[in-house]
Amino acid sequence: MKLLQNSGVPIYQQISEQLKSDILSGKRKEGEYLPSIRGLAKDLKISVITTMKAYEQLEAEGLVTAAPGKGFYINAQDSEMLREQHLRKVEESLMSAMQAAEIAGMTDAELLQTLEALLCIKEGS
Amino acid sequence: MEENKLQEFQNVIQATNITKKYHGFALQLPNLALPKGFATALIGENGAGKTTLLNILAGIRLDFKGDISYFGKPKGPINSEIQERIGYTGPRSYFLPHWTLSQVEEVNELLFANFHKDRFRNICQELGITQSKVKEIKKLSDGNRMKLMLASVLARDTKLLILDEPASPLDPLMRDKLCDLIRTYLAQGNGERSVFFSTHNISDMENVTDYAIIMDHGRIVEEGFVEDLKEKYILVKGDGEDANAAKEILVSMTGSTYGFEGLCAAENLDRLAGMNVVSEVPTLSQISVGIMKANTNLKLSTPSFTTHREISS
Repeated sequence: MKLLQNSGVPIYQQISEQLKSDILSGKRKEGEYLPSIRGLAKDLKISVITTMKAYEQLEAEGLVTAAPGKGFYINAQDSEMLREQHLRKVEESLMSAMQAAEIAGMTDAELLQTLEALLCIKEGS
Repeated sequence: MEENKLQEFQNVIQATNITKKYHGFALQLPNLALPKGFATALIGENGAGKTTLLNILAGIRLDFKGDISYFGKPKGPINSEIQERIGYTGPRSYFLPHWTLSQVEEVNELLFANFHKDRFRNICQELGITQSKVKEIKKLSDGNRMKLMLASVLARDTKLLILDEPASPLDPLMRDKLCDLIRTYLAQGNGERSVFFSTHNISDMENVTDYAIIMDHGRIVEEGFVEDLKEKYILVKGDGEDANAAKEILVSMTGSTYGFEGLCAAENLDRLAGMNVVSEVPTLSQISVGIMKANTNLKLSTPSFTTHREISS
């Protein structure tokens, strides 16, 4: 796991994002336990509370479940939820494209044209 | 993090109405709670009462008023059974100046039932303290003396470490090692071990700090889990022309004619609307300094934003 101290993205979020992509890509499997909070904190050289917050975020997103006294295990990832996760990513990317378009002074029509053009190129290739 | 979630945590130490009065100084803590299974940092100016508090908790100072409960047990005076489970290191050496390494070992064995000689030797080796180096305690550097004290407490089976300024005498590499030692201690304890340390080296210790208590003039002025404090406060930077207006809203700030920088309570952030400010998640060090600045008696240069530029340290 690579953590950047000065990226502007909080460390707990970097951890939860990387674990999340491991879970969604199937690298970490259903039923598997995440490393212990204090064990991971030790290995990553960060505070316990930061790891705990990362795990709580994964729990809030429904990716893992806390088993009292045992740790956090990975939930079954149903295909609908996977799709949901990917849709969210698409939305996020489109949002940032919209923001950039606004700064550039593009109209909505121009933005749509750009997307269509890109889709055409992709289909063509 | 949700407020109610945090309250589920148990406390390793719970104290009420701790009072200790000196000439011109009073330590007054209506409520003190240290979360179990975590590392808590005690931060504050010189003379804020940190050492007094640590000495009270470690059982070194007994002339105080108030009640302390250790390890979830009923409140009561500290006893040897509790002290067996606490490892304490102080800012000064508690070994006699003419002792050798083997004498330190002997004394530890004599004093504590849970002292492991093998572990002590291993840790000493790991920290580079050798028999030949420790001919006499008094000839050791402050850093090596701290290492020896750390080795002594880590060689025992304890549930709580109380460390008074452990990082101060250590070099950068050894501070990094100290953080590793604390994290390993916590990891091996699996939620049952806790650490309470005072420090001025907040940046060096931030990645091993779970809970922070900031003290000033014998009182706690702020405390919380570091991740929560980072949501409670926001670091804002803005233009010089907005500085005077922002000064009223921010917890504390520094600035010059070029611009200002200060700590803002998240709830007050919308009061800065209309000003050209950028915000950032603060480090624990920035939070601590911002809060200490708001509470200090020190005459720091108060920025006035009309004349020449002044830079606060």
